[in-house]
Amino acid sequence: MTEMGKRWLVFLGVAFVPALLIVAPITSFLVLSLYRAEKNLIIREITFGNYANFFGNWTYFGTFLGTVLLCLEVMGAAVLIGYPVAWFIWQQKGSRRYLLLLLAVMPLFMSYIVKLYTLRSMLGLNGLVNQALLGLGILERPSQAFLFNQRAVLITMVVIYLPFVILPIFLALERIPRSLLQASLDLGAGGWDTFRRIVLPLSLPGTVAGALFAFVLALGDFVTPQMVGGTTGFTIGRVIYSQFGLAYDWPFGAAMATILFVTALFGILLAGYSISRQRV
Amino acid sequence: MRTLGDRLPLWITGTVTGLVFILLYSPVFISLLFSIVEIRQGKILWETLSFKHYVTLWSNPSVMAALSNTAIVALISVAVATVLALVLALYTEWEGALGRRALELVIYLPFLLPPIVTGLALLVASAELGLNRGLVTIVLGHAVFVLAVAYRLVLTRLQALPHSLVEASFDLGAGRLQTLRYVLLPHLASAVMTGAVLALTLSFDETLISTFVAGDQMTLPLRLWAMMRVGFTPEINALVTLVLLVSIILAIIVAWRMQPKGQAEEG
Repeated sequence: MTEMGKRWLVFLGVAFVPALLIVAPITSFLVLSLYRAEKNLIIREITFGNYANFFGNWTYFGTFLGTVLLCLEVMGAAVLIGYPVAWFIWQQKGSRRYLLLLLAVMPLFMSYIVKLYTLRSMLGLNGLVNQALLGLGILERPSQAFLFNQRAVLITMVVIYLPFVILPIFLALERIPRSLLQASLDLGAGGWDTFRRIVLPLSLPGTVAGALFAFVLALGDFVTPQMVGGTTGFTIGRVIYSQFGLAYDWPFGAAMATILFVTALFGILLAGYSISRQRV
Repeated sequence: MRTLGDRLPLWITGTVTGLVFILLYSPVFISLLFSIVEIRQGKILWETLSFKHYVTLWSNPSVMAALSNTAIVALISVAVATVLALVLALYTEWEGALGRRALELVIYLPFLLPPIVTGLALLVASAELGLNRGLVTIVLGHAVFVLAVAYRLVLTRLQALPHSLVEASFDLGAGRLQTLRYVLLPHLASAVMTGAVLALTLSFDETLISTFVAGDQMTLPLRLWAMMRVGFTPEINALVTLVLLVSIILAIIVAWRMQPKGQAEEG
Protein backbone atom coordinates (compact mmCIF):
# COMPACT_ATOMS: atom_id res chain seq x y z
CA MET A 1 0.00 0.00 0.00
CA THR A 2 1.25 3.49 -0.81
CA GLU A 3 2.17 5.97 1.90
CA MET A 4 -0.73 8.20 0.90
CA GLY A 5 -3.15 5.30 0.97
CA LYS A 6 -2.03 4.42 4.47
CA ARG A 7 -2.53 7.98 5.64
CA TRP A 8 -6.05 7.98 4.22
CA LEU A 9 -6.84 4.73 5.99
CA VAL A 10 -5.70 6.14 9.35
CA PHE A 11 -7.68 9.32 8.70
CA LEU A 12 -10.84 7.37 7.96
CA GLY A 13 -10.33 5.30 11.09
CA VAL A 14 -9.86 8.31 13.34
CA ALA A 15 -12.46 10.55 11.72
CA PHE A 16 -15.10 7.83 11.60
CA VAL A 17 -16.62 8.46 15.01
CA PRO A 18 -16.93 12.27 14.70
CA ALA A 19 -18.37 11.78 11.23
CA LEU A 20 -20.91 9.28 12.53
CA LEU A 21 -21.90 11.30 15.59
CA ILE A 22 -21.73 14.84 14.25
CA VAL A 23 -21.70 15.04 10.45
CA ALA A 24 -24.31 12.33 9.85
CA PRO A 25 -26.90 13.81 12.27
CA ILE A 26 -26.53 17.30 10.82
CA THR A 27 -26.80 15.92 7.29
CA SER A 28 -29.89 13.94 8.24
CA PHE A 29 -31.80 17.00 9.35
CA LEU A 30 -30.65 18.96 6.31
CA VAL A 31 -32.14 16.18 4.18
CA LEU A 32 -35.29 16.01 6.30
CA SER A 33 -35.89 19.71 5.64
CA LEU A 34 -36.39 18.87 1.97
CA TYR A 35 -39.21 16.40 2.67
CA ARG A 36 -42.72 17.29 3.64
CA ALA A 37 -45.19 16.14 6.25
CA GLU A 38 -48.77 15.20 5.62
CA LYS A 39 -51.02 14.21 8.52
CA ASN A 40 -48.10 13.28 10.76
CA LEU A 41 -46.48 11.20 7.99
CA ILE A 42 -43.23 12.19 6.37
CA ILE A 43 -43.44 12.09 2.56
CA ARG A 44 -39.98 11.46 1.19
CA GLU A 45 -40.04 13.58 -1.95
CA ILE A 46 -37.60 16.39 -2.50
CA THR A 47 -39.34 19.77 -2.23
CA PHE A 48 -38.42 23.30 -1.30
CA GLY A 49 -41.93 23.90 -0.02
CA ASN A 50 -40.80 24.25 3.60
CA TYR A 51 -38.40 27.03 2.72
CA ALA A 52 -41.01 28.76 0.52
CA ASN A 53 -43.45 28.52 3.39
CA PHE A 54 -40.91 30.00 5.80
CA PHE A 55 -39.88 32.98 3.67
CA GLY A 56 -43.40 33.55 2.32
CA ASN A 57 -45.09 33.63 5.71
CA TRP A 58 -44.43 36.73 7.78
CA THR A 59 -45.38 34.94 11.02
CA TYR A 60 -42.28 32.77 10.64
CA PHE A 61 -39.90 35.06 8.79
CA GLY A 62 -40.79 38.01 11.02
CA THR A 63 -40.19 35.93 14.13
CA PHE A 64 -36.82 34.93 12.72
CA LEU A 65 -35.79 38.54 12.01
CA GLY A 66 -37.08 39.58 15.44
CA THR A 67 -34.98 36.83 17.03
CA VAL A 68 -31.85 37.92 15.17
CA LEU A 69 -32.47 41.50 16.31
CA LEU A 70 -32.99 40.34 19.89
CA CYS A 71 -29.75 38.34 19.77
CA LEU A 72 -27.86 41.37 18.44
CA GLU A 73 -29.24 43.40 21.37
CA VAL A 74 -28.24 40.67 23.82
CA MET A 75 -24.78 40.60 22.24
CA GLY A 76 -24.37 44.38 22.42
CA ALA A 77 -25.57 44.66 26.00
CA ALA A 78 -23.44 41.71 27.14
CA VAL A 79 -20.30 43.23 25.58
CA LEU A 80 -21.03 46.70 27.00
CA ILE A 81 -21.40 45.26 30.50
CA GLY A 82 -18.85 42.44 30.16
CA TYR A 83 -15.96 44.54 28.85
CA PRO A 84 -15.67 46.80 31.94
CA VAL A 85 -15.87 43.73 34.18
CA ALA A 86 -13.11 41.94 32.25
CA TRP A 87 -11.01 45.13 32.26
CA PHE A 88 -11.45 45.59 36.00
CA ILE A 89 -10.45 41.99 36.72
CA TRP A 90 -7.43 42.41 34.44
CA GLN A 91 -6.34 45.50 36.41
CA GLN A 92 -6.12 43.48 39.63
CA LYS A 93 -2.84 41.99 40.78
CA GLY A 94 -1.74 38.52 41.81
CA SER A 95 -4.13 35.98 43.21
CA ARG A 96 -6.98 38.48 43.57
CA ARG A 97 -7.17 38.64 39.79
CA TYR A 98 -7.68 34.88 39.44
CA LEU A 99 -10.13 34.74 42.32
CA LEU A 100 -12.29 37.39 40.65
CA LEU A 101 -11.97 35.60 37.32
CA LEU A 102 -13.08 32.35 38.93
CA LEU A 103 -16.08 34.14 40.45
CA ALA A 104 -16.96 35.61 37.06
CA VAL A 105 -16.73 32.28 35.26
CA MET A 106 -18.27 29.97 37.84
CA PRO A 107 -21.89 30.83 36.94
CA LEU A 108 -21.23 28.97 33.67
CA PHE A 109 -21.33 25.77 35.69
CA MET A 110 -24.45 26.59 37.64
CA SER A 111 -27.73 25.06 36.64
CA TYR A 112 -29.19 26.95 33.72
CA ILE A 113 -32.77 26.08 34.63
CA VAL A 114 -32.25 27.29 38.19
CA LYS A 115 -30.86 30.62 37.04
CA LEU A 116 -33.87 31.06 34.80
CA TYR A 117 -36.25 30.30 37.61
CA THR A 118 -34.67 32.64 40.15
CA LEU A 119 -34.40 35.42 37.56
CA ARG A 120 -38.06 34.93 36.81
CA SER A 121 -38.94 35.31 40.46
CA MET A 122 -36.72 38.39 40.69
CA LEU A 123 -38.39 40.06 37.71
CA GLY A 124 -41.93 39.17 38.81
CA LEU A 125 -44.60 41.34 40.41
CA ASN A 126 -43.30 40.75 43.95
CA GLY A 127 -39.74 40.25 42.80
CA LEU A 128 -36.54 41.95 43.85
CA VAL A 129 -36.51 44.40 40.94
CA ASN A 130 -39.95 45.75 41.78
CA GLN A 131 -39.17 45.85 45.51
CA ALA A 132 -36.00 47.82 44.83
CA LEU A 133 -37.74 50.31 42.53
CA LEU A 134 -40.55 50.76 45.06
CA GLY A 135 -38.03 51.25 47.84
CA LEU A 136 -36.16 53.89 45.85
CA GLY A 137 -39.43 55.66 45.17
CA ILE A 138 -39.07 55.29 41.39
CA LEU A 139 -42.28 53.28 41.14
CA GLU A 140 -45.48 53.80 43.11
CA ARG A 141 -46.94 50.38 42.39
CA PRO A 142 -45.24 47.10 41.44
CA SER A 143 -44.98 46.92 37.67
CA GLN A 144 -45.74 44.00 35.37
CA ALA A 145 -43.28 45.46 32.87
CA PHE A 146 -40.36 43.19 33.76
CA LEU A 147 -41.81 39.76 33.15
CA PHE A 148 -43.38 37.87 30.25
CA ASN A 149 -42.26 40.17 27.46
CA GLN A 150 -39.31 40.61 25.13
CA ARG A 151 -37.53 42.90 27.59
CA ALA A 152 -37.55 40.16 30.23
CA VAL A 153 -36.05 37.76 27.67
CA LEU A 154 -33.37 40.32 26.85
CA ILE A 155 -32.45 40.95 30.51
CA THR A 156 -32.38 37.24 31.37
CA MET A 157 -30.27 36.29 28.37
CA VAL A 158 -27.74 39.03 29.12
CA VAL A 159 -27.38 37.83 32.72
CA ILE A 160 -27.03 34.19 31.68
CA TYR A 161 -24.58 34.77 28.82
CA LEU A 162 -22.40 37.44 30.51
CA PRO A 163 -19.73 34.97 31.76
CA PHE A 164 -19.33 33.67 28.19
CA VAL A 165 -18.41 37.23 27.17
CA ILE A 166 -16.24 38.17 30.16
CA LEU A 167 -13.91 35.14 29.88
CA PRO A 168 -12.67 35.58 26.27
CA ILE A 169 -12.27 39.35 26.72
CA PHE A 170 -10.17 38.77 29.85
CA LEU A 171 -8.04 36.16 28.07
CA ALA A 172 -7.39 38.61 25.22
CA LEU A 173 -6.48 41.41 27.66
CA GLU A 174 -4.13 39.10 29.52
CA ARG A 175 -2.25 38.31 26.34
CA ILE A 176 -1.26 41.96 25.86
CA PRO A 177 2.46 42.26 26.75
CA ARG A 178 3.13 44.58 29.69
CA SER A 179 6.07 46.09 27.79
CA LEU A 180 3.70 47.45 25.16
CA LEU A 181 1.71 49.35 27.76
CA GLN A 182 4.93 50.62 29.38
CA ALA A 183 6.22 51.79 26.00
CA SER A 184 2.99 53.62 25.28
CA LEU A 185 3.11 55.43 28.62
CA ASP A 186 6.82 56.21 28.19
CA LEU A 187 6.10 57.78 24.83
CA GLY A 188 3.75 60.16 26.57
CA ALA A 189 0.37 58.65 25.79
CA GLY A 190 -2.17 59.14 28.55
CA GLY A 191 -4.17 56.32 30.08
CA TRP A 192 -7.10 56.93 27.77
CA ASP A 193 -4.92 57.11 24.62
CA THR A 194 -3.17 53.88 25.61
CA PHE A 195 -6.52 52.21 26.10
CA ARG A 196 -8.01 53.47 22.85
CA ARG A 197 -5.01 52.82 20.61
CA ILE A 198 -3.42 49.74 22.18
CA VAL A 199 -5.60 47.89 24.68
CA LEU A 200 -8.88 48.12 22.79
CA PRO A 201 -7.57 46.99 19.37
CA LEU A 202 -5.53 44.15 20.88
CA SER A 203 -8.49 42.89 22.90
CA LEU A 204 -10.78 42.93 19.88
CA PRO A 205 -10.37 39.22 18.93
CA GLY A 206 -11.48 38.13 22.40
CA THR A 207 -14.33 40.62 22.34
CA VAL A 208 -15.51 39.30 18.99
CA ALA A 209 -15.31 35.72 20.28
CA GLY A 210 -17.30 36.62 23.39
CA ALA A 211 -19.88 38.54 21.39
CA LEU A 212 -20.26 35.57 19.08
CA PHE A 213 -20.83 33.19 21.99
CA ALA A 214 -23.63 35.39 23.30
CA PHE A 215 -25.18 35.75 19.85
CA VAL A 216 -25.16 32.08 18.90
CA LEU A 217 -26.35 30.86 22.29
CA ALA A 218 -29.20 33.37 22.31
CA LEU A 219 -30.15 32.47 18.74
CA GLY A 220 -31.27 28.93 19.45
CA ASP A 221 -32.43 29.31 23.04
CA PHE A 222 -35.99 28.10 23.42
CA VAL A 223 -36.18 27.67 27.19
CA THR A 224 -35.44 31.25 28.28
CA PRO A 225 -38.17 32.76 26.05
CA GLN A 226 -40.59 30.14 27.32
CA MET A 227 -39.76 30.67 31.01
CA VAL A 228 -39.64 34.48 31.14
CA GLY A 229 -41.13 35.56 27.81
CA GLY A 230 -44.68 34.30 28.27
CA THR A 231 -46.92 34.37 25.23
CA THR A 232 -45.32 37.46 23.69
CA GLY A 233 -41.73 36.30 23.98
CA PHE A 234 -41.75 34.23 20.83
CA THR A 235 -38.43 33.40 19.23
CA ILE A 236 -37.52 31.15 16.33
CA GLY A 237 -36.13 28.60 18.81
CA ARG A 238 -39.57 28.22 20.38
CA VAL A 239 -41.23 27.95 16.97
CA ILE A 240 -38.81 25.20 15.94
CA TYR A 241 -39.31 23.40 19.24
CA SER A 242 -43.09 23.46 18.81
CA GLN A 243 -42.79 21.88 15.35
CA PHE A 244 -41.16 18.86 16.97
CA GLY A 245 -43.69 18.69 19.76
CA LEU A 246 -47.24 19.93 19.35
CA ALA A 247 -47.37 20.65 15.62
CA TYR A 248 -45.50 17.47 14.67
CA ASP A 249 -44.23 18.88 11.39
CA TRP A 250 -40.66 17.64 11.54
CA PRO A 251 -39.64 18.61 8.00
CA PHE A 252 -40.79 22.20 8.49
CA GLY A 253 -39.04 22.36 11.87
CA ALA A 254 -35.91 20.95 10.24
CA ALA A 255 -36.08 23.62 7.52
CA MET A 256 -36.23 26.40 10.12
CA ALA A 257 -33.42 24.72 12.09
CA THR A 258 -31.39 24.64 8.86
CA ILE A 259 -31.82 28.41 8.50
CA LEU A 260 -30.76 28.81 12.14
CA PHE A 261 -27.78 26.51 11.49
CA VAL A 262 -26.69 28.53 8.46
CA THR A 263 -27.06 31.82 10.38
CA ALA A 264 -25.00 30.49 13.30
CA LEU A 265 -22.37 29.00 11.00
CA PHE A 266 -22.12 32.32 9.14
CA GLY A 267 -21.57 34.08 12.48
CA ILE A 268 -18.92 31.55 13.55
CA LEU A 269 -17.00 31.82 10.27
CA LEU A 270 -17.24 35.63 10.27
CA ALA A 271 -15.87 35.77 13.82
CA GLY A 272 -13.15 33.24 12.94
CA TYR A 273 -12.18 35.38 9.94
CA SER A 274 -12.03 38.62 11.93
CA ILE A 275 -9.98 36.94 14.66
CA SER A 276 -7.48 35.46 12.21
CA ARG A 277 -7.09 38.84 10.49
CA GLN A 278 -6.34 40.43 13.85
CA ARG A 279 -3.47 38.05 14.51
CA VAL A 280 -1.51 39.11 11.41
CA MET B 1 1.25 58.32 42.26
CA ARG B 2 -2.26 57.87 41.03
CA THR B 3 -4.44 60.85 40.30
CA LEU B 4 -8.20 60.98 40.41
CA GLY B 5 -8.29 60.66 36.62
CA ASP B 6 -6.46 57.33 36.87
CA ARG B 7 -8.67 55.97 39.60
CA LEU B 8 -12.00 56.98 38.14
CA PRO B 9 -12.07 54.16 35.51
CA LEU B 10 -11.22 51.66 38.25
CA TRP B 11 -14.05 52.93 40.44
CA ILE B 12 -16.58 52.83 37.62
CA THR B 13 -15.62 49.39 36.33
CA GLY B 14 -15.32 48.14 39.90
CA THR B 15 -18.89 49.22 40.61
CA VAL B 16 -20.10 47.51 37.43
CA THR B 17 -18.21 44.35 38.43
CA GLY B 18 -19.74 44.40 41.91
CA LEU B 19 -23.26 44.77 40.55
CA VAL B 20 -22.67 42.01 37.99
CA PHE B 21 -21.41 39.64 40.68
CA ILE B 22 -24.47 40.34 42.85
CA LEU B 23 -26.65 39.57 39.85
CA LEU B 24 -24.73 36.40 38.92
CA TYR B 25 -24.79 34.98 42.43
CA SER B 26 -28.30 35.96 43.47
CA PRO B 27 -29.70 32.60 42.25
CA VAL B 28 -27.47 30.73 44.71
CA PHE B 29 -28.44 32.85 47.69
CA ILE B 30 -32.11 32.98 46.83
CA SER B 31 -32.44 29.22 46.45
CA LEU B 32 -30.30 28.58 49.54
CA LEU B 33 -32.45 30.94 51.61
CA PHE B 34 -35.76 29.57 50.34
CA SER B 35 -34.63 26.01 51.05
CA ILE B 36 -34.12 26.56 54.78
CA VAL B 37 -36.64 29.23 55.79
CA GLU B 38 -40.17 30.18 54.84
CA ILE B 39 -40.83 33.54 53.30
CA ARG B 40 -44.27 35.13 53.41
CA GLN B 41 -45.15 38.53 51.96
CA GLY B 42 -41.54 39.44 51.47
CA LYS B 43 -40.64 38.76 55.12
CA ILE B 44 -38.19 36.09 56.18
CA LEU B 45 -39.61 33.92 58.97
CA TRP B 46 -36.41 32.92 60.72
CA GLU B 47 -38.25 30.75 63.24
CA THR B 48 -39.12 28.31 60.42
CA LEU B 49 -35.46 27.57 59.80
CA SER B 50 -34.95 23.86 59.19
CA PHE B 51 -33.20 21.37 56.93
CA LYS B 52 -36.17 19.02 56.67
CA HIS B 53 -36.58 19.62 52.93
CA TYR B 54 -33.13 18.19 52.35
CA VAL B 55 -34.16 15.04 54.19
CA THR B 56 -37.44 14.53 52.32
CA LEU B 57 -35.53 14.79 49.05
CA TRP B 58 -33.96 11.39 49.64
CA SER B 59 -37.36 9.69 49.74
CA ASN B 60 -38.56 11.26 46.48
CA PRO B 61 -38.25 8.41 43.92
CA SER B 62 -38.49 10.58 40.79
CA VAL B 63 -35.70 12.85 42.02
CA MET B 64 -33.50 9.92 42.95
CA ALA B 65 -34.11 8.29 39.55
CA ALA B 66 -33.18 11.53 37.80
CA LEU B 67 -30.08 11.81 39.96
CA SER B 68 -28.87 8.32 39.10
CA ASN B 69 -29.60 8.90 35.39
CA THR B 70 -27.56 12.09 35.50
CA ALA B 71 -24.65 10.30 37.13
CA ILE B 72 -24.75 7.39 34.66
CA VAL B 73 -24.97 9.71 31.65
CA ALA B 74 -22.18 11.97 32.92
CA LEU B 75 -19.75 9.15 33.70
CA ILE B 76 -20.24 7.20 30.46
CA SER B 77 -20.39 10.20 28.12
CA VAL B 78 -17.33 11.79 29.71
CA ALA B 79 -15.37 8.52 29.48
CA VAL B 80 -16.31 8.16 25.80
CA ALA B 81 -15.53 11.80 25.00
CA THR B 82 -12.20 11.72 26.85
CA VAL B 83 -10.90 8.65 25.03
CA LEU B 84 -12.08 10.08 21.73
CA ALA B 85 -10.50 13.46 22.47
CA LEU B 86 -7.19 11.81 23.32
CA VAL B 87 -7.14 9.78 20.09
CA LEU B 88 -8.16 12.79 17.98
CA ALA B 89 -5.65 15.13 19.60
CA LEU B 90 -2.78 12.64 19.25
CA TYR B 91 -3.76 12.17 15.63
CA THR B 92 -4.08 15.86 14.69
CA GLU B 93 -0.99 16.99 16.58
CA TRP B 94 1.49 14.15 16.18
CA GLU B 95 0.48 12.22 13.09
CA GLY B 96 0.11 15.11 10.65
CA ALA B 97 -3.60 14.89 10.07
CA LEU B 98 -5.20 15.11 6.68
CA GLY B 99 -7.79 17.86 6.58
CA ARG B 100 -7.01 18.96 10.12
CA ARG B 101 -9.03 22.20 9.97
CA ALA B 102 -12.12 20.43 8.65
CA LEU B 103 -11.81 17.73 11.29
CA GLU B 104 -11.45 20.33 14.05
CA LEU B 105 -14.43 22.32 12.79
CA VAL B 106 -16.50 19.13 13.03
CA ILE B 107 -15.26 18.47 16.57
CA TYR B 108 -16.02 22.02 17.72
CA LEU B 109 -19.38 22.34 15.93
CA PRO B 110 -21.66 20.82 18.60
CA PHE B 111 -20.12 23.20 21.12
CA LEU B 112 -20.27 26.29 18.91
CA LEU B 113 -23.70 25.76 17.38
CA PRO B 114 -26.87 26.62 19.26
CA PRO B 115 -27.74 23.51 21.33
CA ILE B 116 -31.12 23.30 19.63
CA VAL B 117 -29.38 22.44 16.34
CA THR B 118 -27.25 19.72 17.93
CA GLY B 119 -30.25 18.33 19.81
CA LEU B 120 -32.41 18.29 16.70
CA ALA B 121 -29.72 16.72 14.56
CA LEU B 122 -29.36 13.87 17.05
CA LEU B 123 -33.13 13.52 17.40
CA VAL B 124 -33.66 13.25 13.64
CA ALA B 125 -30.72 10.89 13.18
CA SER B 126 -31.85 8.55 15.94
CA ALA B 127 -35.39 8.54 14.53
CA GLU B 128 -34.05 7.72 11.06
CA LEU B 129 -31.98 4.88 12.49
CA GLY B 130 -34.93 3.59 14.50
CA LEU B 131 -32.97 4.12 17.70
CA ASN B 132 -35.24 4.49 20.72
CA ARG B 133 -34.75 7.66 22.68
CA GLY B 134 -33.46 7.08 26.18
CA LEU B 135 -30.25 6.92 28.14
CA VAL B 136 -28.22 5.79 25.11
CA THR B 137 -29.20 8.82 23.04
CA ILE B 138 -28.60 11.18 25.99
CA VAL B 139 -25.13 9.67 26.47
CA LEU B 140 -24.33 10.16 22.77
CA GLY B 141 -25.63 13.73 22.89
CA HIS B 142 -23.54 14.63 25.90
CA ALA B 143 -20.44 12.88 24.55
CA VAL B 144 -20.64 14.87 21.31
CA PHE B 145 -21.20 18.10 23.25
CA VAL B 146 -18.31 17.76 25.74
CA LEU B 147 -15.87 16.32 23.17
CA ALA B 148 -14.85 19.84 22.09
CA VAL B 149 -13.81 20.83 25.62
CA ALA B 150 -11.85 17.64 26.29
CA TYR B 151 -10.17 17.84 22.87
CA ARG B 152 -9.16 21.48 23.32
CA LEU B 153 -7.56 20.84 26.72
CA VAL B 154 -5.61 17.76 25.60
CA LEU B 155 -4.49 19.54 22.43
CA THR B 156 -3.22 22.59 24.32
CA ARG B 157 -1.08 20.39 26.56
CA LEU B 158 0.13 18.32 23.65
CA GLN B 159 1.22 21.44 21.77
CA ALA B 160 3.21 22.56 24.80
CA LEU B 161 5.24 19.31 24.81
CA PRO B 162 8.54 19.50 22.92
CA HIS B 163 8.80 17.16 19.94
CA SER B 164 12.29 16.23 21.15
CA LEU B 165 10.69 14.14 23.91
CA VAL B 166 9.18 11.79 21.38
CA GLU B 167 12.28 11.84 19.17
CA ALA B 168 14.43 10.91 22.16
CA SER B 169 12.07 8.07 22.98
CA PHE B 170 12.29 6.75 19.41
CA ASP B 171 16.09 7.12 19.42
CA LEU B 172 16.27 5.02 22.56
CA GLY B 173 14.44 2.28 20.72
CA ALA B 174 10.92 2.67 22.04
CA GLY B 175 8.07 1.82 19.70
CA ARG B 176 5.00 3.97 19.10
CA LEU B 177 2.91 2.28 21.79
CA GLN B 178 5.74 2.39 24.32
CA THR B 179 6.27 6.09 23.61
CA LEU B 180 2.57 6.70 24.09
CA ARG B 181 2.46 4.67 27.29
CA TYR B 182 5.64 5.92 28.98
CA VAL B 183 6.25 9.38 27.52
CA LEU B 184 3.06 11.01 26.24
CA LEU B 185 0.36 9.73 28.56
CA PRO B 186 2.10 10.68 31.83
CA HIS B 187 2.51 14.23 30.51
CA LEU B 188 -1.10 14.36 29.35
CA ALA B 189 -2.66 12.82 32.44
CA SER B 190 -3.44 16.06 34.28
CA ALA B 191 -4.85 17.76 31.18
CA VAL B 192 -7.01 14.71 30.54
CA MET B 193 -8.24 14.76 34.14
CA THR B 194 -9.00 18.49 34.03
CA GLY B 195 -10.87 18.01 30.78
CA ALA B 196 -12.84 15.15 32.29
CA VAL B 197 -13.91 17.14 35.35
CA LEU B 198 -14.86 20.11 33.18
CA ALA B 199 -16.84 17.78 30.94
CA LEU B 200 -18.55 16.29 34.00
CA THR B 201 -19.79 19.69 35.15
CA LEU B 202 -21.07 20.47 31.66
CA SER B 203 -22.86 17.14 31.34
CA PHE B 204 -24.29 17.50 34.84
CA ASP B 205 -26.14 20.71 33.86
CA GLU B 206 -26.81 20.06 30.20
CA THR B 207 -30.48 20.76 29.45
CA LEU B 208 -31.12 21.90 25.90
CA ILE B 209 -29.74 18.91 23.99
CA SER B 210 -31.18 16.46 26.52
CA THR B 211 -34.68 17.89 25.99
CA PHE B 212 -34.66 16.51 22.45
CA VAL B 213 -33.00 13.15 22.95
CA ALA B 214 -34.26 12.15 26.40
CA GLY B 215 -37.51 10.46 25.42
CA ASP B 216 -39.22 9.51 28.68
CA GLN B 217 -35.98 9.39 30.64
CA MET B 218 -35.24 12.25 33.03
CA THR B 219 -31.97 13.86 33.97
CA LEU B 220 -31.75 16.22 36.93
CA PRO B 221 -32.10 19.48 34.94
CA LEU B 222 -35.06 18.03 33.02
CA ARG B 223 -36.67 16.87 36.26
CA LEU B 224 -36.19 20.35 37.75
CA TRP B 225 -37.66 21.99 34.69
CA ALA B 226 -40.71 19.74 34.86
CA MET B 227 -41.16 20.42 38.59
CA MET B 228 -40.86 24.18 38.09
CA ARG B 229 -43.70 24.29 35.59
CA VAL B 230 -46.02 23.14 38.35
CA GLY B 231 -44.76 25.41 41.09
CA PHE B 232 -41.92 25.96 43.43
CA THR B 233 -41.75 24.04 46.69
CA PRO B 234 -39.05 24.30 49.38
CA GLU B 235 -38.06 20.78 48.36
CA ILE B 236 -37.10 21.99 44.89
CA ASN B 237 -35.06 24.77 46.46
CA ALA B 238 -33.22 22.18 48.51
CA LEU B 239 -32.52 20.15 45.37
CA VAL B 240 -31.44 23.26 43.50
CA THR B 241 -29.07 24.24 46.28
CA LEU B 242 -27.49 20.79 46.25
CA VAL B 243 -27.15 20.88 42.46
CA LEU B 244 -25.54 24.31 42.62
CA LEU B 245 -23.16 23.20 45.36
CA VAL B 246 -22.01 20.16 43.40
CA SER B 247 -21.41 22.24 40.26
CA ILE B 248 -19.53 24.88 42.23
CA ILE B 249 -17.32 22.26 43.87
CA LEU B 250 -16.55 20.68 40.48
CA ALA B 251 -15.81 24.11 39.02
CA ILE B 252 -13.41 24.90 41.87
CA ILE B 253 -11.61 21.58 41.28
CA VAL B 254 -11.16 22.51 37.62
CA ALA B 255 -9.93 26.01 38.50
CA TRP B 256 -7.54 24.65 41.10
CA ARG B 257 -6.08 22.16 38.60
CA MET B 258 -5.64 24.76 35.89
CA GLN B 259 -4.26 27.47 38.19
CA PRO B 260 -0.59 26.45 38.69
CA LYS B 261 0.05 26.30 34.96
CA GLY B 262 -1.38 29.76 34.43
CA GLN B 263 0.86 31.18 37.15
CA ALA B 264 3.93 29.49 35.72
CA GLU B 265 3.30 31.24 32.42
CA GLU B 266 2.89 34.57 34.21
CA GLY B 267 6.24 34.30 35.93
